[in-house]
Amino acid sequence: MQHIWGKGVLLHSSNLQTLFRIKRQMRKKRWITVTFVDKDGDEKIIKVPIGMSMLEAAHKNDVELEGACEGSLACSTCHVIVMDDDYYEKLPEPIDEENDMLDLAFGLTETSRLGCQVIAKPELDGIRLALPAATRNFAVDGHVPKPH
Amino acid sequence: MLWHVRSMGPSILQRMHNGGQKVVRKLISEVNHSWPYASDIPLPPMDNLLINKAGSIGRKTYSSGQVRALGLGSQICLDNRRFSSTAEPASLATPALAALRERLASEGPNLTDFLGQTGSDGYSVSVGSKKDPKPKPEWIKKVIPGGEKYNAIKAQLRQLNLHTVCEEAKCPNIGECWSGGETGTATATIMILGDTCTRGCRFCAVKTSRAPPPPDPDEPLNVSEAIAAWGLDYVVLTSVDRDDLLDQGSNHFAETIKRLKLKKPQMLVEALVPDFRGDQQCVERVATSGLDVFAHNIETVEDLQTFVRDHRANFKQSIDVLKMAKLIAPPGTLTKTSIMLGCGETSLQVIKTMEKVREAGVDVMTFGQYMRPSKRHMPVSEYVTPGAFEEYRKLGLEMGFRYVASGPLVRSSYKAGEYYIKSMIEADRENAKNLAKQIR
Repeated sequence: MQHIWGKGVLLHSSNLQTLFRIKRQMRKKRWITVTFVDKDGDEKIIKVPIGMSMLEAAHKNDVELEGACEGSLACSTCHVIVMDDDYYEKLPEPIDEENDMLDLAFGLTETSRLGCQVIAKPELDGIRLALPAATRNFAVDGHVPKPH
Repeated sequence: MLWHVRSMGPSILQRMHNGGQKVVRKLISEVNHSWPYASDIPLPPMDNLLINKAGSIGRKTYSSGQVRALGLGSQICLDNRRFSSTAEPASLATPALAALRERLASEGPNLTDFLGQTGSDGYSVSVGSKKDPKPKPEWIKKVIPGGEKYNAIKAQLRQLNLHTVCEEAKCPNIGECWSGGETGTATATIMILGDTCTRGCRFCAVKTSRAPPPPDPDEPLNVSEAIAAWGLDYVVLTSVDRDDLLDQGSNHFAETIKRLKLKKPQMLVEALVPDFRGDQQCVERVATSGLDVFAHNIETVEDLQTFVRDHRANFKQSIDVLKMAKLIAPPGTLTKTSIMLGCGETSLQVIKTMEKVREAGVDVMTFGQYMRPSKRHMPVSEYVTPGAFEEYRKLGLEMGFRYVASGPLVRSSYKAGEYYIKSMIEADRENAKNLAKQIR
């Protein structure tokens, strides 16, 4: 058994095994799985790195989520609905500014949040987020304005 | 023969901005690895094209009409099969290519889909969606910007640390205006108070932040220097919203206009101002600073204000600002507003809004087509046809607006100068005629 000093730890086989196990565990926690469900019920499962906001992740994966103010809490266009109550509990309380903007969101529910304020963390692995049933722009949802 | 067109990705567009024809050709030769010729070979004329519906090597295929309308002339490169009389080399006909061709032949758009878009008889053309994508109508497409004047203006702006709404809000007319267009006089709309706004409207590409950096104290001076150097008769100035500042930026704005007028008293200045949250003092500061046209955009019809604009903006506030400006500004100052069509409004709503705007005493109104700056912004509801825009223009003139500019690519400051001057001259001639009648 060779005695190797590495980073202040004596590197022999059992220590090495521990190090690899820790490394493996840490690797698991770098991503979480998030499911976006659109108004038609179509699901999209994406991998979100820890620390990224849901809005950013949606844009990177071509999910139809608007973000007019780029996450500066000046609009309510990134409104998402957390589908499971237990995941909603795991999220930190929204700050006042977020609540103010949420009040203006269309189709507000008890478990609504702004996508730019939901930051990925390991506890949120498997979270399901629903995109609101209608946008504030009704014409986009199939209604065609009739010319008078 | 087959035309290959490189699909435009953001990085390519970025490079386009910085170059011109040379860069484009270099890009084409880089990108199209089947192109065996040197990058300075002259491209053949567009007119003798035939359409081949067969697929492409991961690139779109366009008809000759499309090529012309899209203005993609400099980006087209030929398939080298055109020049070889023998069968194509084995190295090009990979199984992936064959599979792609098959897929495009069965699923891809064909010529009739493109032809269908040219019908401009109705009120509007539908947009299509992610699952059912449709090409944009012909009238909404512009040439990619570039050229000497364009680059010169860009360099000057960066040197003086100035921003333009043309770049920040991704205006489609940037290529035309900055290179001089028909008149040969290049123009740009400078945006003061920084490049970051405190509001997040759903249609606007300008950056948003709760606490943008403080305005540059040298900006009024730099703006007057730059604009004086361009030798324009008419200039439009605009700004971002600065709800974070005590005076909401009104002092800085007024200072810039005053300096401009000092430097060039003969030049006409149009200011496209924020609503200053309806604050009368702020509006007064700007309205009395010496400008010739006070513009403030209501952006959309009354019913869609909360849906389209930031929550701090609303119809009544904007109309009040326009009314205030009309009263406070020295006589002879015109007021102006602008709306975007295609946000989901009905034409009845548009007409009602026009009536309210006219009642507020606004002199000039412009209509343009809303175009989605990015996926992060509001989707377009419909592309209103040029015919419908023309109807709105006629209606506006009937209602009593002194001038109405209306078209899919018309923007608040697009071609503003000639129209203002023209309408003023017409009004003056009208007055002179009346005076002459009275004397008799």
